[in-house]
Amino acid sequence: MKLSSVQIDAMQELGNIGAAHAATTLSQMLSSTVEMSVPKIKVVDVAQLAEHIGEEPAALVVFELQGEIPHGGYIIFYISRASAVRLTNTMLGLTDPDRSLNDMDESALLEVGNIMASAFLDATAELLGLVMLPSPPSLTIDMAHAAMESLIAQMQEEIDEVMLFSTELMCAEHRIDSDIIMMPESSMLQTFVDRLENLMNPS
Amino acid sequence: MTDPAAPQIKTPVMIGIGEYHVGSGPMMTIGLGSCIGLTLYDRDLRIGAMVHIMLPDSSGRTDRPGKYADTAIPLLISKLVEKGSRRSSLVVKMAGGACMFEYFGNNLNIGERNAERVRAVLAEHNLRLHAEEVGGKAGRTVAFYPDEGGKVTVRSADGAAHEI
Repeated sequence: MKLSSVQIDAMQELGNIGAAHAATTLSQMLSSTVEMSVPKIKVVDVAQLAEHIGEEPAALVVFELQGEIPHGGYIIFYISRASAVRLTNTMLGLTDPDRSLNDMDESALLEVGNIMASAFLDATAELLGLVMLPSPPSLTIDMAHAAMESLIAQMQEEIDEVMLFSTELMCAEHRIDSDIIMMPESSMLQTFVDRLENLMNPS
Repeated sequence: MTDPAAPQIKTPVMIGIGEYHVGSGPMMTIGLGSCIGLTLYDRDLRIGAMVHIMLPDSSGRTDRPGKYADTAIPLLISKLVEKGSRRSSLVVKMAGGACMFEYFGNNLNIGERNAERVRAVLAEHNLRLHAEEVGGKAGRTVAFYPDEGGKVTVRSADGAAHEI
């Protein structure tokens, strides 16, 4: 579906509210300042996915959007492997930036993703008056493109384009750079747009 | 003016999801998860074709034949036959079909279904699969070099690469 400029602004604001709540929780977990970018909306043809997300190793904590719409798409906490080590080092009180990630790191990443996705969804669901729940999380630490194409392949609606709503969250003190990405199914996107229009033009 | 003696630097042709390429130079699919990278090499003509398959079935869709196993395979065969290939000369290899996420079971392991469908459609077209590296939980980048004897290499996230 194509969004009008008003709808894009509204979706950006929705992403902004969700990401701001996620950034607050990340800031609390790190006891440090977290900056966030302006939310970006990208429409990506699947054939060109590699131009946006390459084969760089990254950790992705993925949740399916559930609730009123049972398969609403995905919310993804995306962090490069190098940043992931610095993140778990900060949380676990470790210092070696070159170590490999183990079970304890995986638990920590799942926990961070869980808290951030819940904060993102709580804030957006409340604004929209929509019940949105995250599924249990699933984690992969591998080529980013391989993870994303696998998610796109299992979306409910067969599609040639995906819409990615992404906001960058950065912690300068610990050199951590991550993204929170929402990839809605078109039915979910339609619901977002309808609810946002109702909010702006209450009848 | 181009210097005819200048060494040729061959940048691989990047094949995105649902795309394909036919030629003699290097080509590759990066970051395969549940998708399949399928290569057909003609050992007589020393050319090849590669496709990045995403789903098992086209269900009648025709706009992106490279995206589905059932339409991608006949497409590659016809492109090679147009260039003079005989089926008996084709060496077929596939890689990919991983399961990156364990939790999301609503669509029952697409990677495995992709690989099964590729095998079945190859059999329907009387083509033998010479090598495969599918399944598991890890992503793969696959490179194909028709002008180096049809060499196919598979690389994982840690950078380790090997030939299949």
